[in-house]
Amino acid sequence: MSLHILILALMVGAANWAFRYGPTRLSRGAGQGTGPLARFLSATGPAAIATLVVASLLPMALAAQVVPLIAGVASVVALWLWRRSVVIATLGGSLAYALATMSGTF
Amino acid sequence: MSDEAPFRSGLVTALPIAMGYFPIAFAFGVAATGAGLSAVEAFALSLIIYAGASQFLALALITSGAPLLVAAFTLIAMNLRHVLYGPALLKSAGDAASTRHAWAWAWGLTDEVFGAALGEIARGRRFSEPFMFGLGLGAYVSWLAGTVVGALAGGGALAGWPTVQAGLDFMLPALFLSLLLSILTRPQVPVIAVAGLATVAGTLAVSGTAGILAGMIAGAVAGTLRRGRA
Repeated sequence: MSLHILILALMVGAANWAFRYGPTRLSRGAGQGTGPLARFLSATGPAAIATLVVASLLPMALAAQVVPLIAGVASVVALWLWRRSVVIATLGGSLAYALATMSGTF
Repeated sequence: MSDEAPFRSGLVTALPIAMGYFPIAFAFGVAATGAGLSAVEAFALSLIIYAGASQFLALALITSGAPLLVAAFTLIAMNLRHVLYGPALLKSAGDAASTRHAWAWAWGLTDEVFGAALGEIARGRRFSEPFMFGLGLGAYVSWLAGTVVGALAGGGALAGWPTVQAGLDFMLPALFLSLLLSILTRPQVPVIAVAGLATVAGTLAVSGTAGILAGMIAGAVAGTLRRGRA
């Protein structure tokens, strides 16, 4: 097993555990309020996720996979609005993307 | 009520999550071995990190040769949102809130587990740590099992199934987009817009890794500088 991968996993895993467990011990009000730290904590998650949405979709858009991309994105949004489930939206969007890709190959 | 019943209830509540996690984890296992990782390394990432979107991104960072600290910072920043889950869950639990064994069950507080726990409490279930253990364990085991099956199937397992491959290729962007929708609030729209624009600019001007860093930093800074309620 690569030492690089193991160290990376341990660093990220330790941080994940600290993020999930730490605030349950420190304060039930952690992350609340309107100070700079609260705003930073509040913004970092959405910023990270938005970044990854764009970073993962951009190569597909540049590769001109437009129809499957629109089908996939629209399905994710529609399923999310309908069921409010990350799992259902993810699986349904992937299915729509696959079907649109398949229909474009015939 | 004994501690067994809420534990079993937690496992039952975890079933829909487990059914959803398995194929996503399978896709991760396939992607990991396809990217050159061994099955053991793929399993270790799921066991130790246990955060789907981060794990997919870890593959991209590892294969692109990103420096260890840059990769770690990027992945850790992505999961910072989890600090809000514990306090939010305990706040909704009210008088029933207990943290004696939180060092263990809090490990399972993923986006979906947090959402499911919050939903159960909203529907009248009394918070209990055994329930949280059951809920978290069901999801975790499914994630690990999916990873193992995907990794053992191997990166070339879907070579003859291009449609399935296409669906799995889109699973990561779909997961990111779903997560974004799940945390989307009106005050965060400027943060998301700044992060998205900076990502496009950084990616087109420099590289994909630079775009990711630029997006995360620009978005977080925009949110910190923003006046008013977070």
